[in-house]
Amino acid sequence: MAEEFNMDGMLDMFLYESGQLLENLEGIILEKQDADCFDEADINEIFRTMHTIKGSSGIMLYDNITKVSHKLEDVFYYLRESQPENVPHVELVQKVLAVSDFISGEMDKIREGDKADGDETEIVADLDEFLKRLKGEIKEQGIRLPKENKHKEPSQFYIAPVASEESHFYRIVIHYRNDTEMSNIRAYSATYALKDIAEDLLYTPEDIITNEESADVILAEGFYMLLQTKSDTDEIVGLINSVEAESIDIEEITAEQFGKGLAEISTDVSEPISIDLGGEEPKKEPDKEKEKEAVKPGDYVVKSKETGKGKTLAKNQPKKQSIISVNVEKMDALMDLIGEIVIAEAVVLQNPDLQVPGLDLTNFQKASAQLSKITTELQEVIMSMRMMPLTNVFQKMRRIVFDISKKLGKDVELEVIGESTEVDKNIIEHISDPLMHLVRNSMDHGIESDPADRTALGKPEKGKVTLEAKNEGGKVYISVRDDGKGLKKEKLYEKAKNNGLIGDKEITDFTDNEIYRFITLPGFSTKEEVTEYSGRGVGMDVVVKNIQSIGGRLEINSQEGHGSEMTLVIPLTLAIINGIVVQVGNSRFVLETASVKEFIRLTEDAIVQEPGGEEYIVLREQPYPFIRLGQKYQLSDSQVQVQDGIVVVLEHEGEQVCLLIDKLIQEQEIVVKPIPSYVKKVKGISGCTQLGDGSIALILDIAGLIQDEERS
Amino acid sequence: MKTLLAEDDFASRKFMDKHLSQYGECDVTVDGEEAVGAYMMALEDGEPYDLICLDVMMPVLDGYQVLKAIRDIEAERKIPQDKRVKIIMTTALNEERNVKKAFELGCEAYSGKPIDVEKFEQVLKRLELI
Repeated sequence: MAEEFNMDGMLDMFLYESGQLLENLEGIILEKQDADCFDEADINEIFRTMHTIKGSSGIMLYDNITKVSHKLEDVFYYLRESQPENVPHVELVQKVLAVSDFISGEMDKIREGDKADGDETEIVADLDEFLKRLKGEIKEQGIRLPKENKHKEPSQFYIAPVASEESHFYRIVIHYRNDTEMSNIRAYSATYALKDIAEDLLYTPEDIITNEESADVILAEGFYMLLQTKSDTDEIVGLINSVEAESIDIEEITAEQFGKGLAEISTDVSEPISIDLGGEEPKKEPDKEKEKEAVKPGDYVVKSKETGKGKTLAKNQPKKQSIISVNVEKMDALMDLIGEIVIAEAVVLQNPDLQVPGLDLTNFQKASAQLSKITTELQEVIMSMRMMPLTNVFQKMRRIVFDISKKLGKDVELEVIGESTEVDKNIIEHISDPLMHLVRNSMDHGIESDPADRTALGKPEKGKVTLEAKNEGGKVYISVRDDGKGLKKEKLYEKAKNNGLIGDKEITDFTDNEIYRFITLPGFSTKEEVTEYSGRGVGMDVVVKNIQSIGGRLEINSQEGHGSEMTLVIPLTLAIINGIVVQVGNSRFVLETASVKEFIRLTEDAIVQEPGGEEYIVLREQPYPFIRLGQKYQLSDSQVQVQDGIVVVLEHEGEQVCLLIDKLIQEQEIVVKPIPSYVKKVKGISGCTQLGDGSIALILDIAGLIQDEERS
Repeated sequence: MKTLLAEDDFASRKFMDKHLSQYGECDVTVDGEEAVGAYMMALEDGEPYDLICLDVMMPVLDGYQVLKAIRDIEAERKIPQDKRVKIIMTTALNEERNVKKAFELGCEAYSGKPIDVEKFEQVLKRLELI
């Protein structure tokens, strides 16, 4: 192929994303082609798709795509806003498909490196006509026409580089005759001659103009160049055209070799040459050393530029960035299998057969160390494959903030920090909704409606909501912060009491944190009037449930008058946790290491029994609910006496619970597996895992245990 | 249209200079620091640039640093959005993250090298510079 189009990252992404969107779009259309009409979700989806394609093609300057998608977006805007009946569905389907075909066609052209020169006027006119009829129909049905769909012109543009032929890479070595004077200047002339055809040029020695001593090096070792160009060897020789040159060797090399730079390639070949020249070798070696050390101020600029170019090269090599979309189920299956390998590895390496005394395991140990290394890498790779930046989720929040601030008439700005933080794909799916709730709550309940209230407190009139994500110690912290009213403890307490959520305890019975937690109770809402966005008292409990389902927790902090902060703390990945294996009777359980506060040995008289049968432990004058795990799960052979077992204090979201277990086994990495569906759901158990000896251990769900305890 | 061109590669510089000069005065700097200096000077003289073309890989300060510096100066001097200088990055770095970064820092357009002159002009028109 004479003209291979060298795709670059930006264009790649545009084609990939738009391709995905179109594929998705066609999926919807084809599924619904025989239906009577599109439902609301479809209309929204198609509208969004066209909106996105319009935006990105605008940035990429593909005007015809922009115009067509713009028109179709308009059509779906009216469908979405007015929801007219009797839309000619078959015709609409055809229109959408025509647009999709047009855009696909143009994208094929772009992919081939051609111009996207398709004529859009016919399709646009066709859509215009359709839109006109649609509007007429809408009016006839007595529905008010919505406001014109406002389009924001793109304000940033990307100009793709012109398509170019495929480049060749050459290594050129020039040897000058030994009597050549100022060979460094000759070498410079050679580089200068090549500049016109060179896309990139590296050479050594580097300081040929500034350092006269480089002439000796060139005479001794030859002058090395790496050249990226579209020209062929004859042309290069013709350009160098130096009478002093004894020999000019040109060798075509691969892009990878080129990327490695001169250092590696030249050392590869410099050896035979230095043998040829024998005696001179010791003399010039110190020279070279000196050159390296003596950095003059002026040199740095040139060098930094050269290395900069070198780096670019490595990046710009004609490797096609290939992206494939993979079914998430397959990724999950792979993740599962890798989990199995980790378990199988433990089964092999901790196999009881190896415990025979006197067995020489030296080679086995070596091999197993290698195996462990590879499985660890395997885990890391699959994790990184599943990692996605939070950018998209945060992007959605911008939109929400914008919409709500318009609707509520509050002037609020959104600050986003750390949107490139990456988390597991599964987690992203689970936090989108909770995050939306939190942002809405901050906007609605947090920020004051009256700017005067804000200025009175010395705050700027404009409210501020901050969305921050960070990655710390295997956990992701995502916080939503506002500088609004903050939570009022008294108000929360009253509300909870009036709703009968806390019985008749006094406000002093609760810590600040416990009071803040009231807002996460089901059926709690402090806002007197319910708005479109929040205040229905569903929400916060759903948020907490969602977050708990992925092993995370919600932290609430607030300062009255200054704002509140809600932080989601989520594990980086769901599949592997650090756990402590404990034994109760013949069963093994896993406790997540992070939730274990302490282990203690107690005697029976430390236990306080309530009339209802519930048991408590008083530790440092604090009462903790006490659960005998063996009794709870009816494990017949477990320790009944407290003094024979160990008490574990566990904490989850500020609430503690104590468990009586028989003994501790070990701490290890645990691959979390769901409980198979044929087993009835057991309270307080969130999953299971296989241990090194092949036995099964159940993973305790601390949050579930605490809840269960509170309910009883 | 008054243009500032920051470009360290001679060939590109010559090409761009020639091309941009047809629309009016075109100043040229060879590194990032000089570009910021030139921008400041023009600003102080009350004759700010309409367009700045920035290479990314430059000595002393790279294009991103220059872009950020200029936007920071504008923010600090409270220059309104529509009065801000239009900035086009001109570079061989075409990976998406490079482009996104530049957009994030607030450039108006990002042109891959070799420059597509036709589209470049199209953008100048969109930016209402010519």
